[in-house]
Amino acid sequence: MLQCIFLLSDSGEVMLEKQLTGHRVDRSICAWFWDQSLSQGDSFKSLPVIASPTHYLFQIVRDGITFLACSQVEMPPLMAIEFLCRVADVLSDYLGGVNEDLIKDNFIIVYELLDEMIDNGFPLTTEPSILREMIAPPNLVSKMLSVVTGNASNVSDTLPSGAGSCVPWRPTDPKYSSNEVYVDLVEEMDAIVNRDGELVKCEIYGEVQMNSQLTGFPDLTLSFANPSILEDMRFHPCVRFRPWESHQVLSFVPPDGEFKLMSYRVKKLKNTPVYVKPQITSDLGTCRVSVLVGIRSDPGKAIESITLSFQLPHCVSSADLSSNHGTVTILSNKTCTWTIGRIPKDKTPCLSGTLALETGLERLHVFPTFKLGFKIMGIALSGLRIEKLDLQTLPPRLYKGFRAQTRAGEFDVRL
Amino acid sequence: MFNQFGSTSETLSKASAVVLRIGTDAHLYDDPEDVNIAPLLDSKFESEKCEALKRLLALIAQGFDVSNFFPQVVKNVASQSSEVKKLVYLYLLQYAEKRPNEALLSINYFQKDLGDPNPLVRAWALRTMAGIRLHVIAPLALAAVSKCARDPAVYVRKCAANALPKLHDLRLEEHAPAIEEIVGILLNDHSPGVVGAAAAAFTSICPNNFELIRKNYKKLCQILPDVEEWGQILLIGTLLRYVVARHGLVRESLMLSLHGMDSNGFCEKDALVRDLTLDKEDGGKSDSFDVNLVNVVSKCYIEGPDEYLSRSSCLDPVTSAFDSKETTSVAHNEDVKILLQCTSPLLWSNNSAVVLAAAGVQWIMAPLEDVKKIVKPLLFLLRSSSASKYVVLCNILVFAKAAPSLFAPHFENFFICSSDAYQVKAHKLEMLSLVATTSSISSILREFEDYIKDPDRRFAADTIAAIGLCARRLPTIPTTCLDGLLALVRQESFAGDPESVDGEEGVLVQAVMSIQTIIERDPDSHDKVIIQLFRSLDSIKVAAARATIIWMVGVYCSLGPIIPRMLTTLTKYLAWSFKSEASETKLQILNTTAKVLISAKVDDFQMLKRIMVYMLELGECDLSYDIRDRTRFLKKLLPCKLASHEATEDSVASQENIAVHVVEHVFGSKLKPFLPLGLNDRFYLPGSLSQIVLHAAPGYEPLPKPCSFVFEEHDQLSDSDRQRDAGAVLDRSQESSETGDEDGSSDYDSESSVGSEFSSDDNERKVSNDASDPAAPLIQISDTSVSADQEELRSRRALDLWLDDQPSTSNQTPSAVNSNQSSYAKISIGDIGSRVKPKCYSLLDPGNGSGLKVDYAFLSEVSIVSPLHVCVEVLFENSSGEPILDVNLEDEESMKCILQQCANTNST
Repeated sequence: MLQCIFLLSDSGEVMLEKQLTGHRVDRSICAWFWDQSLSQGDSFKSLPVIASPTHYLFQIVRDGITFLACSQVEMPPLMAIEFLCRVADVLSDYLGGVNEDLIKDNFIIVYELLDEMIDNGFPLTTEPSILREMIAPPNLVSKMLSVVTGNASNVSDTLPSGAGSCVPWRPTDPKYSSNEVYVDLVEEMDAIVNRDGELVKCEIYGEVQMNSQLTGFPDLTLSFANPSILEDMRFHPCVRFRPWESHQVLSFVPPDGEFKLMSYRVKKLKNTPVYVKPQITSDLGTCRVSVLVGIRSDPGKAIESITLSFQLPHCVSSADLSSNHGTVTILSNKTCTWTIGRIPKDKTPCLSGTLALETGLERLHVFPTFKLGFKIMGIALSGLRIEKLDLQTLPPRLYKGFRAQTRAGEFDVRL
Repeated sequence: MFNQFGSTSETLSKASAVVLRIGTDAHLYDDPEDVNIAPLLDSKFESEKCEALKRLLALIAQGFDVSNFFPQVVKNVASQSSEVKKLVYLYLLQYAEKRPNEALLSINYFQKDLGDPNPLVRAWALRTMAGIRLHVIAPLALAAVSKCARDPAVYVRKCAANALPKLHDLRLEEHAPAIEEIVGILLNDHSPGVVGAAAAAFTSICPNNFELIRKNYKKLCQILPDVEEWGQILLIGTLLRYVVARHGLVRESLMLSLHGMDSNGFCEKDALVRDLTLDKEDGGKSDSFDVNLVNVVSKCYIEGPDEYLSRSSCLDPVTSAFDSKETTSVAHNEDVKILLQCTSPLLWSNNSAVVLAAAGVQWIMAPLEDVKKIVKPLLFLLRSSSASKYVVLCNILVFAKAAPSLFAPHFENFFICSSDAYQVKAHKLEMLSLVATTSSISSILREFEDYIKDPDRRFAADTIAAIGLCARRLPTIPTTCLDGLLALVRQESFAGDPESVDGEEGVLVQAVMSIQTIIERDPDSHDKVIIQLFRSLDSIKVAAARATIIWMVGVYCSLGPIIPRMLTTLTKYLAWSFKSEASETKLQILNTTAKVLISAKVDDFQMLKRIMVYMLELGECDLSYDIRDRTRFLKKLLPCKLASHEATEDSVASQENIAVHVVEHVFGSKLKPFLPLGLNDRFYLPGSLSQIVLHAAPGYEPLPKPCSFVFEEHDQLSDSDRQRDAGAVLDRSQESSETGDEDGSSDYDSESSVGSEFSSDDNERKVSNDASDPAAPLIQISDTSVSADQEELRSRRALDLWLDDQPSTSNQTPSAVNSNQSSYAKISIGDIGSRVKPKCYSLLDPGNGSGLKVDYAFLSEVSIVSPLHVCVEVLFENSSGEPILDVNLEDEESMKCILQQCANTNST
């Protein structure tokens, strides 16, 4: 089981340590860890499980903050990693993001949360809605109160009722004057276009996100019009397996507030909404680049915030790129970003320019990969449609809302 | 003006930061010691105490030791404010062990809090009390835990379950039974939350007390879907271990059903496997499951890889099948059926650790045809966070090694995104090269082409290695691969100065190595490629790549009609470039020239000899001592060859002939056949830490021995079922072992008939009789004929032959007389061992008197191959009642320099 959790800032400073068991871990392990990650670079940073001379380390990095957990004995590594991810999620939910300042400013809350989330190295209470009841998130009111009176406890005196019930994700009796439930389909398109311009892989990763503000103990059923297109899925613990197995209906008692009901994947899509046509010719140490971006198949809604970013190869010594639409920025680490926004009606956005290669190189022999970003509100590109959302016992005033959006996930266009 | 504006904006942003930080604890973290903490702790205002405690926590967070405040802090444990209480507890847990005496002061308050009507207060008190780790209070804490284990509030019971490992960790023997009893009580709890925590306690306290599980087995399975995710992970593992310990592995599962498939080709499971293969992909049957590897994996799961690998010889992975009594079947065993049913929906869990644990159960226990349902959930995990992606890939890789056909249709999932971390990319490449089939290879190769142009050159080099692996696995594609690789080699070598670009050398070296791997499979049909490589030698500048190609010159120097004619030119070129080479290339040049010299025809010989002599002279005064060493070595060895090449027909002194033998063995040997991959890999249970770090982490336990947990009150029905099953299987397994035996012996026969064309088995046996005859003269002078054939055979199957040969081969009768045979006189000292008894050492001694006994002794006679070698006699004795099969003696070192003789006495 886990013995200790460290939070490291992006400069390697130990911001916080929380010993979990009697076997204390000296913080010199963090110094070892940081030395290694400096000397071995990125490949060490991306290694989630590390065998150090004294401990096994598990690390995740979230917004520059490294969450480091130590163990000396065998334990499922995914459990440690999932737990650290959960900690990071809860913290960013509480503090509105994670960064060095936020964690240092709210270190008491971080301590209290960690103490509630893990006991003796084993996760205790990780359900966000229950945690919210035990430890109040910092908000403007409590801040003001603490300034005025100098005393505001954020630790609850009583045990949340949900902590022991058979639906541990739900407080027993929330009361709302207006009952509302919102369902969002949030989809990400993962695609690979190879160097021949062929669509090698195109699939949708989607999540059904809900925000439920319902009184009492509601029992919901959500059904899709075309569940057969779903290839893979994973469910929130509240979803009952039986109804899904028998007739693909989601039946559940929802947690209170926002949560992710399920995630799914739809594979083998035929088309992408946006095309990217890169071209490169090299001759005598200079390369001419031109990239066209346009709409391939109109999804019926506006495609917004289109961006294209790529990493210039090492052998490029200087780049001179310009576009007829949007802005191009090249950072010092040779990352080039082209922000297009919406595609105008009258012209096709085009990025063009020249790259100068390092002396001695005639042609470019390595090619960058373009990462495309876009966002389309109001449509789920997978074609998944929600048929209906039913409540077993209808509360007096109920508002149901449905939304959908698609954005680019891991959308790679190889040159 | 401008300046001012800048400063204003700066102050503005500062001001806004200050506003944002108002009301937070920022000032406490930044300057925890700007006020005197001690008086605050004694303040009568809760808010001041709270502030003081926060300052102390800030110091702890920054790594300072503030244990000197302990007495003042402990006093505040009596506070009514929940926040103060919480902070005091946080502090106490940090330092209780350091200040035991003061910590004792707090016990009374905990006792009082344990009776509090508020469950939260009770839970906190229990958690802290169990966490302060003092032996003195252990009995009190145990009493508190056992009281809380029956608490009406679920949360308190859950904390009680979490407290148990803390008490167990104190290692107080007298409390162990009481602790285990409480674990039993909590496992029996009706609330899923408590059961999850109890499962965690069970895993860390008494993972092998299966009696506790047996009592609640069915209930635990039913409650499993409702248990919290973290508890599920451990409970799944516990249930799996219980079922294995109670009922053994499942016969229809992947782990066992492939057993004996190769020896007993007609068993019905084979048909099943074939069905599976047919509906999967067109990949060959050998592709669908790696039988040997599956056996190794299942053995590793049961015994732990370290034990297993040390016990069994790596070349003979198919060891005895599991005892048929130790297996069970899904159809007849209710417990197994329930376990599979309750874990399969967990493949949809949101928590990737749960999915992996459930997949592990299905992998080990599910019938062969059901195993494929773990594939999609596992692949979907690859879309989660990058950290878990890596861990999942490591596990999938093991599954795919054993059963590539499971993942073959899903190869697209392993295509690489630019955002993947390097390790993830490397694992995905390995997956792609494992699961490639004839139908998917074309798209995989197209992907590989793209990867080669990736800016990350280390990744590009890995891709090229993966191409080599693919080509070796799939016999149909090498030509296309080779063309691509050759083009790459040309392009890379003309790309200019490779040193200017990072990692470019690696790509080139890897390309040459991949070509070599592909050629190795079937050198005869690829001689054109080899020639092209030789031609490009001059343009390749990277030392490692040059060395590999030069090595290939030596190995393939007698291949096809064209290469032998190129040799003189090539060696001339090598001699010319020798001076400017890197030392690794120089070593290869020396070796290669020696090899070429040996295989050379008479007409080239003079030329080659001159080149060799020239190079030896150059090498002798080289700067590197490795090269000087190698040169001296060759100089000692080669003169016989240099002098006697034309004169092989004449009889030469045996001493020199022995040198010729050695030279032949060192430089004339053929490549060893390619060993199957992965048999030496270590396998740990899926989802374990050990599988990721590839060594057994402390506390790692393999699955319990099948049926090691015997419960006396047998369930009548299942017992009779088991016996019936066992009977049926026993018959079958006997059958298979018999056929296995036959296979083994026939295999042996064929080998020895290949190896000993000139001396049949009977002959040898006669010889051995002669040798053991005490009347034989000690010194023998005899004629021996050595045919060229024999030399070659000896070089190829050297070890086999030596093992079969008898001490004095002096009176061997050549059966196949070759035209260019040569005979020579031989003086040998006869079997001195029969007169002087050499001292015997025992290598393997059966402790209980039955089993295999192995002794060895160093003999005093001179080896027939070289006077430098030593003869070792190894005696095998079977002191058990049953025959021992497949005794295998192997040599770990390369076969260059060791001669072994073996007199195999099998006294049954």
